[in-house]
Amino acid sequence: MNASNPAIRPAAARRHWGDFVELIGSMRFAVSLLSFICVASVVGTVLVQNQPSNNYVNQFGPFWYQFFDTFSLYHVYNAWWFLLIMGFLVVSTSLCLVRNAPKMVKDMRSFREHMRESSFKSFHHKGQFASDADATTAVEATTRLLKKRGYKIRLRQDGDATLIAAKTGSGNRMGYIFTHAAIVIICIGGLLDSEMPVRLQVWLGDKKPLHENMAIADVPATGRLSLNNPSFRANVLIPEGGQSRNAIVLVGDGAMVQPLPFTIELKKFIVEYYSTGMPRLFASEVEVTDPDTGKSFPAKIEVNEPLRYKGVTVYQSSFDDGGSTLNLTGYALRGTQAYTFPVDGKVGGTTSLIPAESQAGGADNQTLKDLTVEFSGFRAINVENFAAQVGATAPMAFREHVASVSGSAARVGHDKDFRNVGPSVQYKLRDASGQAFEFNNYMLPVVVEGTAVFLTGMRANPEDEFRYLRIPADGESSLKEFMALRAALQDPTARAEAARRFAEGNRPATGAARSAASDELLAQLDASAQRALDTFASGGLQAIAKFLETNVAPGEQQRAADVVVKLLGGAMAELRNVARERAGMAAIPKSGPDAEAAAGWMQLSVAALSDMFLYPAPVMLSLSNFKHVQASVFQVSRTPGKNAVYIGCLLLISGIFSMFYIRERRVWLWVKPKTDGTTGSETLMAMTSQRRTLDFNREFEGLRADLAGLLQAPKGGI
Amino acid sequence: MELTSPDSSRNPLHRQVDAGSRRVDWTDAVFALLLIAGAAFAFMKAGSIMNYYDKAILVGAVVVLSWLGWLWRPLRNLMVAVALSGGLAVMLYQGDLARAEQAFFLKYLLSSQSAILWMCTLFVLATACYWIGLVGRSATGAWLGTALCWGAVFAGLTGLLVRWHESYLLSPDIGHIPVSNLYEVFVVFSLITALFYLYYEQKYETRALGGFVLLVITSAVAFLLWYTFDRGAQEIQPLVPALQSWWMKLHVPANFIGYGTFSLAAMVAFAYLVKAHGQTSSWVKLMPLFILGILLGLEPMVFRQSGMPAYWMAYSGVAALIVGGILLGRRRIAERLPSMEVLDDIMYKSIAIGFAFFTVATVLGALWAADAWGAYWQWDPKETWALIVWLNYAAWLHMRLIKGMRGNMAAYWALIGLLVTGFAFLGVNMFLSGLHSYGEL
Repeated sequence: MNASNPAIRPAAARRHWGDFVELIGSMRFAVSLLSFICVASVVGTVLVQNQPSNNYVNQFGPFWYQFFDTFSLYHVYNAWWFLLIMGFLVVSTSLCLVRNAPKMVKDMRSFREHMRESSFKSFHHKGQFASDADATTAVEATTRLLKKRGYKIRLRQDGDATLIAAKTGSGNRMGYIFTHAAIVIICIGGLLDSEMPVRLQVWLGDKKPLHENMAIADVPATGRLSLNNPSFRANVLIPEGGQSRNAIVLVGDGAMVQPLPFTIELKKFIVEYYSTGMPRLFASEVEVTDPDTGKSFPAKIEVNEPLRYKGVTVYQSSFDDGGSTLNLTGYALRGTQAYTFPVDGKVGGTTSLIPAESQAGGADNQTLKDLTVEFSGFRAINVENFAAQVGATAPMAFREHVASVSGSAARVGHDKDFRNVGPSVQYKLRDASGQAFEFNNYMLPVVVEGTAVFLTGMRANPEDEFRYLRIPADGESSLKEFMALRAALQDPTARAEAARRFAEGNRPATGAARSAASDELLAQLDASAQRALDTFASGGLQAIAKFLETNVAPGEQQRAADVVVKLLGGAMAELRNVARERAGMAAIPKSGPDAEAAAGWMQLSVAALSDMFLYPAPVMLSLSNFKHVQASVFQVSRTPGKNAVYIGCLLLISGIFSMFYIRERRVWLWVKPKTDGTTGSETLMAMTSQRRTLDFNREFEGLRADLAGLLQAPKGGI
Repeated sequence: MELTSPDSSRNPLHRQVDAGSRRVDWTDAVFALLLIAGAAFAFMKAGSIMNYYDKAILVGAVVVLSWLGWLWRPLRNLMVAVALSGGLAVMLYQGDLARAEQAFFLKYLLSSQSAILWMCTLFVLATACYWIGLVGRSATGAWLGTALCWGAVFAGLTGLLVRWHESYLLSPDIGHIPVSNLYEVFVVFSLITALFYLYYEQKYETRALGGFVLLVITSAVAFLLWYTFDRGAQEIQPLVPALQSWWMKLHVPANFIGYGTFSLAAMVAFAYLVKAHGQTSSWVKLMPLFILGILLGLEPMVFRQSGMPAYWMAYSGVAALIVGGILLGRRRIAERLPSMEVLDDIMYKSIAIGFAFFTVATVLGALWAADAWGAYWQWDPKETWALIVWLNYAAWLHMRLIKGMRGNMAAYWALIGLLVTGFAFLGVNMFLSGLHSYGEL
């Protein structure tokens, strides 16, 4: 190609353009695009999308994080290259359609009635019949037969011969056009409803997503989308009693405000549960107000039943706490005083544990003062399965196993004992250095293995499960007595008094034994009990085990441990009475059913007190009252492409069914008078179809046999 | 006079096997009336708890079932039989679930779990009989396979119907159509695959494929048994709010027509490849087929949560042995299989049906998602994999219809399609979290 011959250049360019168009419109190109979309989609499903970026950094390390980020692998379906491929797919399919559809329509309408006699030979499905009937009669008879079979017919006279061109099932070709048009329509509709329109406003317009928290009123105009924004998908959280006219659109890592053409006020959020604690119903009772007319109407939004108004659809998306108010009691877990104090808060809020001016609680107050509490969650009901662990049952014989899975599929009360154990509160305690532990405390005692206990869960990381401490409830179903016992245990004078009483209680009753020797024994018992209590008070059962390890010969340890545990149990029982007396309660009798209950209570208390040493906070908050406020999260969207997509889907389905189930067939018959001059006619037959399936073969043979029967019948039989 | 190849007229396939069933006769009318009576009964009994859409679906079901009964007559007998057994179970229950342990027929036959366990047993027996029929050249064996397969379908359908009733007995607010979780859809899958197979068996007058197709159903049964015995998954669970919709009645069955026919096509493709390699003596040529078979057998290993459960290891071992055994006996098996033309035709037809219904199911799913999740498409892993499956078969059909792809290539592709479909069906629920999480294990 050189400049001296300018005529070549446009021609070559045109050729290249033609080649390019040819390539884009080719099936090979479309298939490569589709394969690429498949691979990208697989990546998008394997790699969880749209997570906060530090999740990915943790998962892949900084290098690979950057590398994957370059290709937008965390937002595959909104990546520029993915959209580009989709764009190419639309162009390619459109080109394919534009190039082939007119040909197909033409072919569909054509009867191909320009067949010649010689062409019949080249068909694979053909037949030949001789008839005694003359040509006109034969033409009439065969035409009738074909029409009855649903064929459309055209006749052409060629000399003394007649060509019958018949076709049926032309709709098959429409299937091709429909499906391909559908793909284009669906892709375009989908693109309109994607994040594209909002992103375009950011790229091309003056809009800027916000990256910091701020009140909606403070958001500048660049962070607000237009009220007439044609396409968006946004979220809005409304607490009960609250209302909103703005929703939040997430764009990448940022957010923008989307004003709505109406105000939604949440009257009431309803959540109902099955007996298993699984949610049965989420619904929001709202009041929608149109600011243009000032009119308002009530509506109920449920999962599967969105509200559609002024071109915007409002879905029940999820729910949250709308800032329930909580009243809690703080129990000090350190020091010699059973000290309690009130804490009030709101879910989602943060508060210091003790008001700065408060001086109560003595020296331990200082550690409490540095703590802040963040209320991270509240649940009004908790349904738990109290049945014995399913896996823990003894292995069953095969017969029993089969019997257990036969019968009805609804086995109520089998491995199941669902109970609502009441409200629970979740909070984080953060110390001055920023360290935080999270706690999950139930408001009411829960009966576990026959005893009512308070459950308090703790964890260091949000990923961990809560580990629960069980604190036995007292006669008033409260924590008070346990907390008094805890305080007494830390009080040396109370411990000394308990040890003394324990030794006294073990003095032989009869006078003869009250000797000087037994006084010595008594003093020994007192000292042992004192040591057991002191050791326990310094570090729980762990400390006792450690003490035994260092002071007792290995062979004696088991026996010594039994003795110490007994000793400790007895001394602790006395300590409990000391604590009760201080609180102005009667002592627990030494025998009878109350004593038995007390022994059980004491066992749990000893375990709980011992575990207290591992409790990562100097305070425990117990819920005393609450006012539950729920919030509903709605998704609001405007989807201009939705109808296009639905029409596309309809086209796609009708196209696919017509492609598969409308069978296109063409038949030609060439009828001419017999060449040997006798009366009668000769007929050639040819049949073809786009799809030469077994069904087609069968139909061809059926038709040929019928034609043979018709044409070769004895004279006059037609 | 006739110029075309003479052998075609002797081919039994060219007989008009369904010529008689194409005309509407008085039996069709009676059957339609029965269906209408059944629907009217349902309206009377349960009309109060059905909404407008449920009623429309019930009317639609009468039309569709009448049409299906006309299309394939044996279905009418099945439907009548299942209606009778289901009705008997409902009568025996007398509205009390505890009767499942007391009434003899409920305890051993008609309660949903007993019926489904019967289905499992009969499917396994049917598979064995089909193989005895094929390898042992025993017509009785193959006939028994067909009979047992019908029995299994009858038991399974009864089980599902009774399960539906039981869910309402459990509590009216829990009651729902049994297509809501992985356990239930596995039963649906087995039934749909078996019914499509039985249709082709009759239409093409060959029982040689039964052993192949029932292998995939036996796998589903193996899963069901493990799911029942190990996980206790057979218990009826209430529905989360997102699933409480009449859309479920349409979306799930349509989807499983797709999964069922794709699996059927893959097993026919397997048979095709065995036939194609009937005379091959080189193991190198058989290797791809063997490896594919092993891979399909290994696919359930994704059920493991930690380590290798003995059950699935044994399953994979048995699967490998079966694939190896089939390949070893390929010559004997190939002789009895129908012609490659027929196998190819069945493969094409089932993929075509599957593709059409998979499209319908995906579109219905999108419509439902628009109401339940607020977007008709949001690249949820299940949606994405549905798209991948759809594109896979779209490409297969394109290659076949436009490029004229036939033979081993088409068969291998159909078999690989089962791997992809299997992953979309199960793997997504195992590995990938998403909105379809109620299908979780």
